[in-house]
Amino acid sequence: MKIKKLFQKTRFGIFALFGMISLSTSALCIYTVDTHLSEEYENNSKNIAKTIADSSVDILLNRDLAALQSLIDQFVEIQSIKYIYITDESGEFLAHTFVPGIPEVIRADDPFKTEAIERNLPGMGDFVEVGSPILAGIAGTVHVGMDTGLIALKIQRAIGRQVYLICIILVVGFFAAIWLVNLAANPLGDLLAYAVERARGEDGASDDKLLSRDDEVGHLANLFFYVSEGKEAKSE
Amino acid sequence: MTQTSSGVTDTEIILGVSAAFSGPSRGLGIELYRGASAYFTHINQQGGIAGRKVVLKTYDDGYQPDPSVKNTLKLMLEDEVFLLFGYVGTPTVTRVLPMLKKFQDRNIFLFFPFTGAQPQREPPYGDFAFNLRASYRQETAGLVDNFVRINRKRIAVFYQADAYGRSGWAGVRSALKRHGEQIVGEATYRRGEKFTGSMRKQVEILKASDPEAVICIGAYAACAAFARDAVNLGLRVPIANLSFVGSENLLKLLTEGQDNSESYTQLLVNSQVVPSYEETSTPAVQEYREMMQQYAPQPPEELVTEDYTPFAQSFVSLEGFLNAKLMVEILRRLSDAPQRSQLEDAVFSIRDFDLGIGEQVSFGPDRRQGLQRVYYTVVENDRFVTLDNWEDRFGKK
Repeated sequence: MKIKKLFQKTRFGIFALFGMISLSTSALCIYTVDTHLSEEYENNSKNIAKTIADSSVDILLNRDLAALQSLIDQFVEIQSIKYIYITDESGEFLAHTFVPGIPEVIRADDPFKTEAIERNLPGMGDFVEVGSPILAGIAGTVHVGMDTGLIALKIQRAIGRQVYLICIILVVGFFAAIWLVNLAANPLGDLLAYAVERARGEDGASDDKLLSRDDEVGHLANLFFYVSEGKEAKSE
Repeated sequence: MTQTSSGVTDTEIILGVSAAFSGPSRGLGIELYRGASAYFTHINQQGGIAGRKVVLKTYDDGYQPDPSVKNTLKLMLEDEVFLLFGYVGTPTVTRVLPMLKKFQDRNIFLFFPFTGAQPQREPPYGDFAFNLRASYRQETAGLVDNFVRINRKRIAVFYQADAYGRSGWAGVRSALKRHGEQIVGEATYRRGEKFTGSMRKQVEILKASDPEAVICIGAYAACAAFARDAVNLGLRVPIANLSFVGSENLLKLLTEGQDNSESYTQLLVNSQVVPSYEETSTPAVQEYREMMQQYAPQPPEELVTEDYTPFAQSFVSLEGFLNAKLMVEILRRLSDAPQRSQLEDAVFSIRDFDLGIGEQVSFGPDRRQGLQRVYYTVVENDRFVTLDNWEDRFGKK
């Protein structure tokens, strides 16, 4: 009975330990994935804005705006990018991908802003917008809007996969530890039962099996056997 | 025998076509093809060009850029057509142009695309295409000039959110700038929008800018939906459309089964790049009407997967017919062993050529567009007729 309690405590200890490891690993993983992916998405949109800005110079100076629109339409097909707009040096909108029109929030904002900003566009959702100047700003600015809802969903999926893996490791590890504890606990239980039997002077059916074991349990069983035999001889 | 280029055999000259035969803009591809097909059929029945029949190798791109690029690759590399002909749309053609530059050593040219956009009219891709129709710049400039002349200076733009819409938007902006004006309001729609879709938001955006005229740069389904919703929501100003819209398809949507059809159409004004097919005194129009009736051309059976009832005559099929007529003239000017490398010289040899519409066609190294004239039409008795007097029709009362 006492052994059972001892191993129950051990099992609880293992569960608590695994739980703590899982929780701390998950928390660290969530933080790392969230930070890294958010930074990566922001950097990607900055790179896209810069690529468009670099490609736009020639088009703005030498070609029709249809070519510029065709260029940004290709980029907006990339997942997570929800809108792109290009303003000229005076702030006039030269090309954009908004339907049914340019949101008032964007019209009212500073068209030369290039740092990352968070926007809520009514009817469209939440976005992170980054900008990149065209020809150091003298030819205009490119703005790229990434859907934060979609980014959050992607980050959640990445985190979900990691946490799922950690949970699987936790469950497998927990049952493996229980199995190992039981592997040690069952022979000890048998030994305890044997010791009680010997103390009562009874012979059990599985005595030979226990005595023939070539491990610590077997040695202890033999010790109990000799001690109890010696005690019986003395009493006779 | 002298060797010919790919796409030319002893019996055939094969031209490659990628156009919309499916989707909401299929009417444009089908009608353009039908018009061209009528003339090519006529020429083939007369014995072809130096004994070779003109054959169209045709694919459907649904007016979408990616399929258009794939079709063009197939036409150039697998089918090895002689030249590309009768493409439909700006978003499609603007993606195809870089491919022509990539394969410039093969001398593959794009002839007479159904778009008035600038990219195929100017560097760096202008050298790989030849245009017959007037440009969107000319169409939008004409519309703006006429509106401004009748004192309708507050002009708003409704346009397709892509290269075509932007091309027209830029034309309107530039024309208004010349008059010291600017676009007062703008609203967009996504390519592929159907007539059953709502344009309420777009109408509300434009209505808020209090325009005196709206210029639409779109395809017939969306523009018809816009005209319908504009009238229903009380935006009673002239609504102009460019030639690309597909006037007959637009009119059909606004009149068939509509209780309010007259009010939907009375303020419409459509610019055209070919004369009216009702002008039977024009020789090419007469020829077109006869051949359309005689040959009753149909689109390629394998490409038509959706219902479509062709028109007896339309501006789009007349344009296709004129494209084919000029194409045949160019092919006739090649040697007996046609080579792609001879094409440019053959085109440049076209000087003051009479196509039969009262406007001479000329080409040259600095002139890669044959026609310059823009026509204006309005709806009378459920058909498009030439607009004679802007002031009477649209002047502010």
